[in-house]
Amino acid sequence: MAVKSILVVDNEPYIQEVTQICLEAVTHWHITTASSGQEAIDKAESEQPDAILLDVMMPDMDGLTTFQALQANPQTRHIPVILLTAKVQASDYRRYSEIGITGTIAKPFEPLELANQVAQLLGWTLQ
Amino acid sequence: MKILVVEDDNLTASALATVLGNQTYTVEIATDGASAWELIETFPYDLVLLDIALPKLDGISLCRQIRSHHYQMPILLLTAHDSSHDKAVGLDAGADDYVVKPFDPEELVARIRALLRRGQATAQAVLTWEQLQLDPHSCEVSYRGQILALTPKEYALLELFLRNPRRVFSCSAILENLWSFEDIPGEEAVRTHIKGLRQKLKAAGAPTDCIETVYGIGYRLKPASSPPQRHSGQARDAGSKCAHPGAEAPASSSAEQTLAAIADVWDRFKPRILEQVAVLEQAATAISSQTLTEDLQQQAQQQSHSLAGSLGTFGLETGSQMARSINQLLHCSGWSAAEGQRLRQLVAVLRQTISQAPAALKKSPSVLSTATAPAGDPADEPPLLLLIDSNPSTAAALIAEATHWGLRTELATHLAMAQARLSQLCPQVVLLNACSVDQSGLSDLRRQLPTVPLLVRLLEPAVPLDCQDLAPCVCLPPLSTPAQVLKDVMQQLHQANSIAAKTDATIMVVDDDPHLLAVVRVLLQPWGLHAVTLDDPTRFWQTLEAAAPDLLVLDLKMTPINGIDLCRQVRQNPDWSSLPILILTSCRDARTISQVFAAGADDFVSKPIVGPEFVTRIMHRLERVRLLSNLSEIDRLTQVSTRPKATLDLYKLLRLAQRQGQGLSLMLIQVEPMPALHSPGSAVLRQVGCGLRHGVREEDVVARWSETEFVLGLYGMPKDGQNRLQALLSVLQQDLIAAGFEPVTFRMGVAHYPDDGENLPALYQSALQQSIVLADSLADNLAEQPRDQHSAYHSCANKSDFCKSTSAI
Repeated sequence: MAVKSILVVDNEPYIQEVTQICLEAVTHWHITTASSGQEAIDKAESEQPDAILLDVMMPDMDGLTTFQALQANPQTRHIPVILLTAKVQASDYRRYSEIGITGTIAKPFEPLELANQVAQLLGWTLQ
Repeated sequence: MKILVVEDDNLTASALATVLGNQTYTVEIATDGASAWELIETFPYDLVLLDIALPKLDGISLCRQIRSHHYQMPILLLTAHDSSHDKAVGLDAGADDYVVKPFDPEELVARIRALLRRGQATAQAVLTWEQLQLDPHSCEVSYRGQILALTPKEYALLELFLRNPRRVFSCSAILENLWSFEDIPGEEAVRTHIKGLRQKLKAAGAPTDCIETVYGIGYRLKPASSPPQRHSGQARDAGSKCAHPGAEAPASSSAEQTLAAIADVWDRFKPRILEQVAVLEQAATAISSQTLTEDLQQQAQQQSHSLAGSLGTFGLETGSQMARSINQLLHCSGWSAAEGQRLRQLVAVLRQTISQAPAALKKSPSVLSTATAPAGDPADEPPLLLLIDSNPSTAAALIAEATHWGLRTELATHLAMAQARLSQLCPQVVLLNACSVDQSGLSDLRRQLPTVPLLVRLLEPAVPLDCQDLAPCVCLPPLSTPAQVLKDVMQQLHQANSIAAKTDATIMVVDDDPHLLAVVRVLLQPWGLHAVTLDDPTRFWQTLEAAAPDLLVLDLKMTPINGIDLCRQVRQNPDWSSLPILILTSCRDARTISQVFAAGADDFVSKPIVGPEFVTRIMHRLERVRLLSNLSEIDRLTQVSTRPKATLDLYKLLRLAQRQGQGLSLMLIQVEPMPALHSPGSAVLRQVGCGLRHGVREEDVVARWSETEFVLGLYGMPKDGQNRLQALLSVLQQDLIAAGFEPVTFRMGVAHYPDDGENLPALYQSALQQSIVLADSLADNLAEQPRDQHSAYHSCANKSDFCKSTSAI
């Protein structure tokens, strides 16, 4: 049985690490990380993760630009993307869902609930 | 390592258990497929050894079921059929390997080792921690090359820690990992093995704290002194998740482990987080001097955004809120002087909040509310202030001040948000900004929190709330400084606690510096704490006996006897051994602190004394003592029952009297000082307790009801109880005088069931109303009568008469 894999994209290493801890603590998902939009695009293409958790506000290439690049690439357009961001207002949620984002999780997230939220948005079971 | 053996043949199962047990594996046995599945769902296993022919659910189906539920521990099939088809079916079902029965033990063990190795793809063959090495192949443990002789459980324990180097294991997680289901012992067994392991490591020269106790959670391997690896690498090293889910503890302890792991990230990245704050400081300074560049503004926006999105995850919800306010300010253009100042203030408080974060991180309710709370003592946790304030800058200043007073804080920017979280937070005190709440909202809040002090900060010039209608609320005047506000908060909190505890406390402070003692008296007095100070440690014991303090504060360095020695003496004295002790010390080095705790002290306070810290520590300790005292059944000082215990016993007696149609006497005895004397000392109360205990039958209830009040409950006592109690007290008075004490006043009252009342409160009230003072006549008698006549008085109303009269009923 293939293990689900998730690519976590955030420019802050400690946020990457905490996200990884929170997901690994209650799931068997395989977590990889990327620190920039470009690295995310490269890894998405080469590793073909089952989903991507993407920060919005990143230097150089922000999350939405990264998402558009992933969508434009036939090899990565099928990968569901969840935004993990502190930049959420009601209008943001609407905008994100209109452009095809699978879901949005507000930061700061509750560490013990993150995996559950991700699983719900993706329709996965935690077991 | 824990292995589940699924085998219906008892003989084979027990042979497997022996073979694997000899290899230090922990073995659990299931005799059918269905019970094996239940065990797999409940406990973590590192490997499953599975027979194919099983009752209820066959091995191949079980194997498929295990894999379809994403369990990925290695599965080794045991098969009696050496056919290629059977093997292929087994491997297709998800098994990793097979062994044909009858099996060769050596081959079986080798295959198991291979599978476990494969499970830990990147794990090292030999597990190491600094110079400690554990070789899973030879089961040898060595430190600096010296072999350690460990018991199998000590070995397994060490292996567990070494394989999970960053995980904190609770006792129950250790039990589940290292013991089989049928013979799980108490948590004491874990502590015993940890102790044994530590001793052996120490004897070999390893650091004593190699296995650390994580207070309130459990144990872990101390992070090695080499630079820590990144978590991602470590997680895969341990093979704990992706490759080896079976090694994980169940959900109940995973929350603790997650929080511990997050705390670890916080520790490692705190410098980076403070760097982010430094960018905000630069921007705030540049705004004040009107030299902010676009580049710096962007950086600061980025960093404040990042902090807003991350601090809450570490338990610093207020930090996230402050960072968000800072971020909003940084998105303005053209800042007024007031905005510049507000920004600087917010950034300063943010830095302070982050700098003080380890405590906040562990205790933040936003983290713990959804987690299994660590098994710490709730009385150890500082009180929680719920702040309802929509103004970020005033909130930030109040939070900083509250932190200074040792309070935890939770910020809600509006009332609805606060109300939604009330049941989760359980605040001990609430502080509201008047502009954040209206009259009806406040009334709602009061209904939700009927006993919690509510303080409302009024605003100038308008006073939107009518304080007259808010009797249970405290209205604070406009323009109070944060320090003044917090002083009021602390006093309200203290009053609420005092009402709850119904008694104030005596604190005895011993220090050879009279100046410090004067400061302490001034500090403690506003909090209702009675300070008894002593600058000469040679008069320690007399003062202690006379003061009967609730808490003792000892200076560390005094002559001719220092605080540590006094502390030891107190701990060795049976009457005072449980008295809480704080040590005052100007040294905070590890050696001194360990001496302080080794001598039996409960806490230490650094010199020079910081007022709020000193008071807070004393208050916390007293709260803890009160909690423990409520839980205990025997009063420490007088050795009679405590009030909670006596209340239960009295209710039992009362029910018995009701059923049997008998009487019951409730007797109240208050010990009061004679005029011009100090309140009765501990020795007097102890003597009274002893006299009362010996003056009644074993089945009667004798209790210390409050500080100087005792209650007796005597089943079936006739109505002349008043005379008999009077006689007993006169004997007690005689004994006190004979022992060299000053005479005391006894106030006594007696109530009878059913005539004076049918329940405990009614009987107590009746006894109180009928109470009379005995001391004058007794003391007068004693003063007028010569000593030999005392004896005559004694003989006509002695204890044995009292006992006889009660036991004769």
